[in-house]
Amino acid sequence: MHEISLIRTVFNTLEAEFSPEELSRLQAVDLKVGLLSNVEPILLQNAFAAVTQSEGKYETTTLNIETVPIEVYCPVCDKNSPVKDYKFACSCGRPSSDVVSGTELLIHRIHFAEPASVRSA
Amino acid sequence: MQKIQRSSKAARGTVTCDNTTMHLLKANDFVADSIRKQMAAQNILLLNITSSAGSGKTTLLQETIKRLGGQINIKILVGDLETERDADRLRAVGGDALQIVTGGICHLEAQMVWQAMESLNLDGVDLLIIENVGNLVCPASFDLGEDYRVTLIATTEGDDKPKKYPRMFLTSELMLVSKVDLLEYLPFSVDNVVADARDINPDIDVMELSTINGTGVDAWCNWLLNKVAEKKEAASLAAS
Ligand SMILES: Nc1nc2c(ncn2[C@@H]2O[C@H](COP(=O)(O)OP(=O)(O)OP(=O)(O)O)[C@@H](O)[C@H]2O)c(=O)[nH]1
Ligand SMILES: [Mg+2]
Ligand SMILES: [Zn+2]
Repeated sequence: MHEISLIRTVFNTLEAEFSPEELSRLQAVDLKVGLLSNVEPILLQNAFAAVTQSEGKYETTTLNIETVPIEVYCPVCDKNSPVKDYKFACSCGRPSSDVVSGTELLIHRIHFAEPASVRSA
Repeated sequence: MQKIQRSSKAARGTVTCDNTTMHLLKANDFVADSIRKQMAAQNILLLNITSSAGSGKTTLLQETIKRLGGQINIKILVGDLETERDADRLRAVGGDALQIVTGGICHLEAQMVWQAMESLNLDGVDLLIIENVGNLVCPASFDLGEDYRVTLIATTEGDDKPKKYPRMFLTSELMLVSKVDLLEYLPFSVDNVVADARDINPDIDVMELSTINGTGVDAWCNWLLNKVAEKKEAASLAAS
């Protein structure tokens, strides 16, 4: 898979959004990874370690990965049901491929430390 | 549009992100939308053909060119890790094919297709077919702006593929069960594979195919001609 390039995308996305000063205080990044995203959390952690070490950046940052189960929406019952054994169906039995969660591959939360000199408000 | 919930002060503490702006494939999806718009403007049907390595994609495209090359204007983009071999095979039967060598990347991304499209003359083209890299995992996640995703599963691969690679079958409109000429020698059940694929995607269409004995090739060609015609009808409706 393409875990290394995903990790680089994480850093590029953060660098486009936050200043170097802010990123120097980056403590943790929380990713949401759906079970359908074809991304293995372990491989992503390994890629994260490889990229941070080889580039000497973000070495004190932690990567947290939350896996998201697959759910489909049923318009008849107007509710979501978990997908079990890759049977894409509502708990009422009607098949549905309206996947409402499980394909996620995104940065969900970012944690920063306090700036070194915080002036009182 | 609020991108990230943050104040104008330097970020501190926990910042919660908007799901769309921090999507890791958003660059790909953005380019895929550009491709879709350009294909709509030129009334070109775009297909993304995927499968495991060696399921018969190039052979099917060779056959398609032989049958339909005189009726509609077809161009092909072929993704491959290292070689030009598939494009050469398609040119050998008169196809107009361009190879995208991914240099070891295990899937095509929209950006690669967009760049390749710059060196294609698309005037008067009816159908642009992309043969993706042979792999059921990674190509599943990358939208290339296609109208239809067509996935081949060969009888030689075993009939457990849909549940092993659900994302691909979830995102495909058509599953082609290929190499059915070998069915009598193999422990492969077409019924099982169709049932498993429809557990994942109840709407998926299925055709059985063999380029050796010709099973399903007419049906495939008719499917293509219908979809090309539908795309043109949709365009002329939008224009009128
Ligand atoms: N028996 C049988 N063999 C087939 C059929 N179609 C293709 N083959 C053989 O399967 C092998 C692979 O076919 P290709 O068309 O190169 O497969 P591909 O999916 O393009 O392969 P990659 O691009 O490498 O992923 C070749 O040896 C073909 O001759 C078929 O309908 N029946
Ligand atoms: Mg091929
Ligand atoms: Zn229901």
